[in-house]
Amino acid sequence: MTRADSIAPRAATAAPRHRAQLRDWAVATALALIVASAAFFVHRNREFREREEHRAHAAAVAVARGEPPVSPVDAAGVVSPATPSPRYPFLRQRTFQPVGEAAPRALGGPCAPALDKLVYDAATRFDATGPFKGFLPDGSGRVVAAVAAPGTPGGVAVAVSTPPSGPEPYPWLTFVGLIGLGGVIAAAGALLGAWRRPTLLALGASGLAVPTLFWTGPWPAAIIVGLTTLVATASARGATDRWAEALRAHRVALAFLAPAAIAMAILVATPFIAGLVLGFYDHDAGSWTFVGLDNFGHILSGGGKGFDDPGNFWFVLGVTVAWTAVNVVLHVALGVALALLLRQPWLRGKGVFRMLLILPWAIPNYITALIWKGMFQSQDGAINSLLDYAGLGGDVSWFSSWSTAFTANVVTNTWLGFPFMMVVALGALESIPRDLYEAAEVDGASPLQRFWHVTLPHLRPALGPAVVLGSIWTFNMFNVIFLVSRGEPGGSTDILVTQAYRWAFERDEYGMAAAYATLIFLILLLWTVFGTKVTRKEGTP
Amino acid sequence: MSAASPAGTRRPSVLAQVATYAALLVVTMAVLYPVLLVCKKAFEPGRQFALSASPMPRDLTLDHFRDLASAEGPHGELLFLRHALNSLVAALATTVVGVVLSCTAAYALSRFRFPGRRAGLTTFLVVQMFPASMLLLPLYVLLDRMGMLNSLVGLVLVYATTAIPFCVWTLKGYFDSLPKELEEAARIDGAGPWRVFFTIMLPLARPGIAVTALFSFMTAWNEFIMASTFMTDETRYTLPVLLQSSVGQYSADWGLFAAGAIVTSLPVMALFYVLQRSLVGGLTSGSVKG
Repeated sequence: MTRADSIAPRAATAAPRHRAQLRDWAVATALALIVASAAFFVHRNREFREREEHRAHAAAVAVARGEPPVSPVDAAGVVSPATPSPRYPFLRQRTFQPVGEAAPRALGGPCAPALDKLVYDAATRFDATGPFKGFLPDGSGRVVAAVAAPGTPGGVAVAVSTPPSGPEPYPWLTFVGLIGLGGVIAAAGALLGAWRRPTLLALGASGLAVPTLFWTGPWPAAIIVGLTTLVATASARGATDRWAEALRAHRVALAFLAPAAIAMAILVATPFIAGLVLGFYDHDAGSWTFVGLDNFGHILSGGGKGFDDPGNFWFVLGVTVAWTAVNVVLHVALGVALALLLRQPWLRGKGVFRMLLILPWAIPNYITALIWKGMFQSQDGAINSLLDYAGLGGDVSWFSSWSTAFTANVVTNTWLGFPFMMVVALGALESIPRDLYEAAEVDGASPLQRFWHVTLPHLRPALGPAVVLGSIWTFNMFNVIFLVSRGEPGGSTDILVTQAYRWAFERDEYGMAAAYATLIFLILLLWTVFGTKVTRKEGTP
Repeated sequence: MSAASPAGTRRPSVLAQVATYAALLVVTMAVLYPVLLVCKKAFEPGRQFALSASPMPRDLTLDHFRDLASAEGPHGELLFLRHALNSLVAALATTVVGVVLSCTAAYALSRFRFPGRRAGLTTFLVVQMFPASMLLLPLYVLLDRMGMLNSLVGLVLVYATTAIPFCVWTLKGYFDSLPKELEEAARIDGAGPWRVFFTIMLPLARPGIAVTALFSFMTAWNEFIMASTFMTDETRYTLPVLLQSSVGQYSADWGLFAAGAIVTSLPVMALFYVLQRSLVGGLTSGSVKG
C-alpha cells in the first residue's frame, strides 16, 4: 500500500519530465546544429578555395617545367617578358606559348580570345609582385596562377583553371545520424534521472561538435559544448520549464506579435548584423578579407590625414555636429517665433498663414533640395539674381568655398525643417490655459517674464522630444547634403551619412563604409539615450 | 516685443500689430518663393533655371509637360508612365506589406502585458528612427547576392524595413486611444482574443489604419536614396530617381524637372494637408512615450 502510494506521484511527474527533457534536448540540438552548419560552410569554402588554388598552381608549376598541366585548364602556357611594340614603343607586347602548341603567338589583337587579357594581366602582376594565385573576379570560380618559368629568361608560366566542380554537399546523413544518437542518449538520461539527466542531455546534444573538430578545429566545438552545457544547466535548474511556461502563458500575445517580429528579424536584423560584420572586413573586387579592427582604427585615427582634411573622420564628425546644431537651433528659433506670432488672439488669417507656412513640410524633401540646388547655381541661380537686384553683388560661387556651401545647405534645410517645430510649438501653446497669462499680467509680469516663466515651461515637454527627433533627422539629412552641395568643395561639406555613402558607392571600400555606418549607429544610440533621459527629466514636473 | 506676449489679454499697439503682420508676410513669401519659381519654370520655355529672379513667367507653354509624358526609353516604352507605375507599385506594395504585418503586433503591444514588451517597443522605435541610409550598404550587398538589384520586389523588401516599425508605432498609438470596454464586454460574452481582434478592434481601428497606410504610402512614394542606389536600369527608376537624373551634373533640364516635380508632388502634398494633424500627434506621442 505505502509502496504504491510512493510510486504513484513519481509516475505522474515522470511523463512531463520526459517531455521536458526531450524539449530541452531539441533546443540544445537546434543551437548546436546552427553552429555546426556554420562551421561546415566555413570549412567547405576554405577547402574549396585551397583545392582550386592548388589545382591552378600545380598546373602553372607543371607548365613552368615544360610538362603538360597536371589538371584541366582553360589556358596554360609560358608568357614572354614584355617588350616595347616596334610601332608604338609605349605599348608593351608579350607573346604566349600555349602548352601543346608548336609556336608562340602574340597576346591580344583583334581576334584574340577573351582569356588573353587575363593571361597578359597575370604576367604583369607577376612582374610586379612575384608568384601568386587567386580567384578571377568574374564569379566563375576559376583561379589564375603564375610562377616563374625557368626555361624562358624572364618568362612567366600562367595557368587558368577550368570552372570547378560543385562544392562538397551538405552533410545531411552525418547530422541526422548524430542527432538520432544524441536523442537516444538524452532519452537515456531522462530514464536514469537525477544528475544523469542534464549530463546526458548536454552529451547528447554535443555530438554535433565532433565533425566540427575535423572541419574547423576546436573553436566551434567549444562553442557547441558551451551552449549545450548552458541549456543543460538551465534545464537542471528548472529555468527552461519557467521559460516554456512563460511562452505558454503569453502565447496569444506572441502569436499576435509574430508577423511583424519575424519580418523584422529577416528584413532588419539580417542587414543590420551583416552591416556590423562587414565593418571587420576589407572588400576588394568581390572578395572579402577579415581585417579585425583595422577599418575602425583607420577611421578613428583619421586615416593619417590632418584634422582640417575632409578625409578625416573627426573633421566630418565636426561638420556633422555643427550642421546638426546650427539647423536645430534655427528650426526651433524660427518655429517658436512663428508659433508665438500665430498665437496672437487678434490676428486675422491664422489658418491661411499656418497652411502656407507648413508648405515646405508637404513638399518631398528631395524635390526641395533639387530646387534649392538650382537656386544656388552661380550662373543663373535665383539667389544670385536676388542678391544682384538688392545690390549685394550677384556673382557668389556658392559651392566653391566651405562657408558658402555650408550656408546653402543650412538655408535649404532650415527652409524645409522649421514647419515641424512650428507645428509642435503651436500645439504646445494651445495647451497653455489663458488664465495663467491673465494672472501673470495682473501680477505685473513683463512680456519677457511671461515668456520666460509661463510660455517656456509649457513648451519644454513638447519641444524636448521634438528636438531629439529633429536632431536625429538633421544628423541623417542625406538628401540635402547629397543633392544641394554634393559635399563640395572637395567633400568638406559632407556629413557622416554622405561620407559613408561615398566610401561604399564611390570608392568601393565596402568595409570602411560598413565601419562608418557602425560608428554612426553608436553615435545616434548614445544621443538618443542621452536625449530621452534629458527630456524625461524635464518632462516630469 | 509682441512676440513675447502670445496670449496677452489686451490688444497691443498698432505698431506691434503691423510688425507682426509684416514678419509673417516676409516669412510666408520666403516660403512661397521657391515654390513659385518651380511653377514658373514648369510653364516657361527653356531648359535653364531662372535668369530673372521674378516668379512671373514671361511666356506660357506646356512643352515641358509634353516632353515629360512623351520621353521614350531604349525600347520605345513611355518612360514617365513606366516610372510613375514603378513608384505606384512600390509604394502600394510597401503599404500593404507594412500594414498587414503590423496590425496584430501593434494591437499586442497596446493591449497585452508580457515580458519583453518594453524591449520590443524600444526596438521598433529605434529601428524606425535610425535612417535607412545606414542599412544601405548591407542591403545592397545582400540584394546583389540574391540578384535582386533593379527589382521592384527587392525595393519593396527594403522599404518594408522602415515601413513595418513605423506602422507598428502609429497603429499602437491608435489602439491605445480606443476604449477597452467593448473588448472586455466581448470577452465576457466568451469571444476569444482573435475573434475580439478581427470582429471588434480591426473595424474600430479603420480610421487609424487608413491614416497609417497613407503615411507609409507617402514615405515610400517620396523615397529617393534607396531607389537611386538599387535601381540603376533606366526603365526601373522611380519618380524621384527620374527627377534627380533630369537635373544631373552634366545635363540639366530644369523645365522638365519642374514639370515632373509638380506632377510628382501634388498628390502627396494634397495627402499631407489632409493628414497633417494626425502626423504631428503620432510623431510626438511616439517619442514621448518611448
